[in-house]
Amino acid sequence: MRPFLQGSIFLFRKLIRYSCSFGIIVLLVFLLPRMMPGDPVANLVGEDIYLTDETKETLRAALGLDSPLHEQFVLYSIHLLHLDLGYSYHMHGAVSDILADRAGWTLLYIGISIIIGTCTGIYLGARAGFEHETWWSSLISSLALIISSTPPYLLSLIAMVIFVYHLGWFPFKGFYDTFHILSIIHHLTLPVLILSVFYAARNVLIMRGTVLSEKIQLYPLFARSLGIPERRILIRHIRKNAIIPLIALIALDFGFLFSGALFIEIVFSLNGMGSLMYDAILNRDYPVLTGTFLVIAIFVICANFIADILSLALDPRTRSHP
Amino acid sequence: MIIMKSFSKKRWTLVILTVAILACCCLPVMAEEKTLRIATTNEVKSPAFIGDYTLGLFNHISNPPLMQMNDKGELIGLLADRYEVSQDNTEWTFIIKGNQFWSDGTPVTADDVAYSIQMYGTSVPNAGWIGETLTDTQVDGDKVTFRFNKPYTNIALEFTSYSILPKHIWESIENPNEYTSTGPYVGAGPFYIDNVDLNSGKVIFRQNPGWKGKTPAYDTVEISWFKNEDAAAKALESGIMDTYWKYAASYPYAAIASLQKTGDFEVLEKPTSGMTFLGFNLKKEPMSDIAFRDAISNAINYQELVDISTLGHGKIPEKGFVPPAMDGYVRSTPMEYNPDTARNKLEKAGYIDSDKNGIVEGKDGDDIILNLLIRNSYAREAELVKEYLEKVGIGVEVRSVEDNTWFELKDKLEYDITLTRTTPWGMLMHAGWATGYFDSRRTGQGVLHTVDDEAFLTLCDNILGTTDRTLLTGYAKEVQKYYAENLPGIPLYWKNDITPYNKEITGWYSNPLYGIMNEFTFTGVKPAT
Repeated sequence: MRPFLQGSIFLFRKLIRYSCSFGIIVLLVFLLPRMMPGDPVANLVGEDIYLTDETKETLRAALGLDSPLHEQFVLYSIHLLHLDLGYSYHMHGAVSDILADRAGWTLLYIGISIIIGTCTGIYLGARAGFEHETWWSSLISSLALIISSTPPYLLSLIAMVIFVYHLGWFPFKGFYDTFHILSIIHHLTLPVLILSVFYAARNVLIMRGTVLSEKIQLYPLFARSLGIPERRILIRHIRKNAIIPLIALIALDFGFLFSGALFIEIVFSLNGMGSLMYDAILNRDYPVLTGTFLVIAIFVICANFIADILSLALDPRTRSHP
Repeated sequence: MIIMKSFSKKRWTLVILTVAILACCCLPVMAEEKTLRIATTNEVKSPAFIGDYTLGLFNHISNPPLMQMNDKGELIGLLADRYEVSQDNTEWTFIIKGNQFWSDGTPVTADDVAYSIQMYGTSVPNAGWIGETLTDTQVDGDKVTFRFNKPYTNIALEFTSYSILPKHIWESIENPNEYTSTGPYVGAGPFYIDNVDLNSGKVIFRQNPGWKGKTPAYDTVEISWFKNEDAAAKALESGIMDTYWKYAASYPYAAIASLQKTGDFEVLEKPTSGMTFLGFNLKKEPMSDIAFRDAISNAINYQELVDISTLGHGKIPEKGFVPPAMDGYVRSTPMEYNPDTARNKLEKAGYIDSDKNGIVEGKDGDDIILNLLIRNSYAREAELVKEYLEKVGIGVEVRSVEDNTWFELKDKLEYDITLTRTTPWGMLMHAGWATGYFDSRRTGQGVLHTVDDEAFLTLCDNILGTTDRTLLTGYAKEVQKYYAENLPGIPLYWKNDITPYNKEITGWYSNPLYGIMNEFTFTGVKPAT
């Protein structure tokens, strides 16, 4: 069979699989929040407030929580077909508007971090693996191991104490002081650096490992026997193969992009998707929860699909082994 | 080049001089903008003036409620000058202070008050009680009268928490609770809310041009919220914030020493009516046995709890439960830690370790292993309580759950003992003096509703049936006596709220309900020099 046809069949099969997954996900994201203990109405009323049962039932009806679960699901699905994700009980706005605002900021700082972390991790990891006997390879690997093993919250706090509190280079919190590009850059530099270091550290370790296992294969030896320079063997042959497992991981990173990096949002008081979801869980804000879960699921699916395409382009073996 | 050449040296000098003079003129103007900066961990989640819980706390400054509390815990007028109550406690008349203006120049009227209270009753879920009980509202000049369908004695207190809104602005808004805007919002306090910016994490207040009271020393007040206490504490230490405030909570005790080391801050330390206590499921044996609860009260090392949980900023509580920060407090016997006494009391009450396995047996002959249900945030105190009870032969299994699960299990009475807290507002709700936490007829997320003893319920009804100060003082004493004799809850420690403030600023005022977040502070604080 021709490679193009093989690839198309492979992607078509994947597409069907992902479409089925999406259907199941819609049901799950609707049911999961509602299976959690807790009452959204009680959360809305607050800890120290007393209301009669009649008033509570009126509130429940206003939120659309008084009808049977299957009816609620049908209504939810109809709204979903109209791209209506519902209305937040606690945030007082349409879920789609809230998500759009939070997602934009999250995309900005996590997206940049993933790109920096990926490029740095691939470059350093590949070199550390290829020249693993050198002192600097050991240094990079050790640093990457230390950073990966440190709890992110702790590392962020340490960075805050050093660079914000002691050196005063960066602000304590928020996306900006005044809505201006320089203020945004000033506020996001440290969170982006910390996240980039995290992503890079993990990618270095994975890349180093795969390069180490790839370099002892026969094809680098064959390339070397042809007189191809070492640097070219790494870039043109080994790195290309070693990158494949990392693509799936990076796809997942992008997939979970919208869940944000909660720890960085908490330390630097950023209004991102992570804290939106966290608050929605605590408040049992079903529309926000289902909305965020759904968006994350869509991103995971899309990212995996892109990863499949990339794998197909980089690794021809996938065409014959879907 | 031609242009450059045409510009003579003299002209260049003139331009530079003009720019320099302008800069010099502008600098003092910029420096004159005085801003008071407050750090908090109460986060504004949505720019909904009424719908957002935290913004609802902040807007008491811009849109004063009818009443407020003074530093002694007494209720005094804020937007209202005074109030009158009918004999049967169903009619409450508030007389509005004169010479008050909204920030758009419109006078504040009794109509604004009537509109606001009615609107809360119909549009705001947590004010649903107003909708349930308010039957009529009459406005007569500067007086507004509310008629309720049953005697209501707590209205003056309840109305410390409902911000009054300008009717001419809000009446055109269809659903005020869902209304969101980043501002400005028209207010009648010393400051109005100019901007709510979720992405910078700030609420900016500006001086109300229509304010006729004491002129504030600051042009703007900036409240910045942080998502974690550590960052807020470090921001304070760095000097970019002037003070810290959090509703019903203190500045983190562990951060006080390092803040004081900077030499730039003083602290305001005030006893609070909020506390942590051990609650019992009184529907189950052996918790329903007063002798068993009494034994437990002797098993707890109160001093250690004070030392660990408040780092010394607290004190051993008394059996009367109600702390001294509350109006109507009556001194009672301090809680006593004595494990031997606890063991003796258990033995005397019939809880004996007959099989010598270290755990006493209940009346049914089984080992007593209590299910201690807690919210995650009480893990440290729960471990200590477990240790104390095990020392006297009571087995404990700690079950730590997140808030919503705790609410659900607590309401289903699926626990033996629990650790929880009271808030200043909670201490005042229902019939006051913590009755709202115990009265079995109440429900609510934070309350235990475990006491159905007729004597206690009658006492609550008596309090709810009068506004007579003399009678209330007597009832307050009876309630505390009831707590001391029946121990429906064991207070673990009383604590102080710490409010750090920049020592270059004077004039701070704190009340037991909202701490420094009050009009006296906002009009009273000024640079020391």
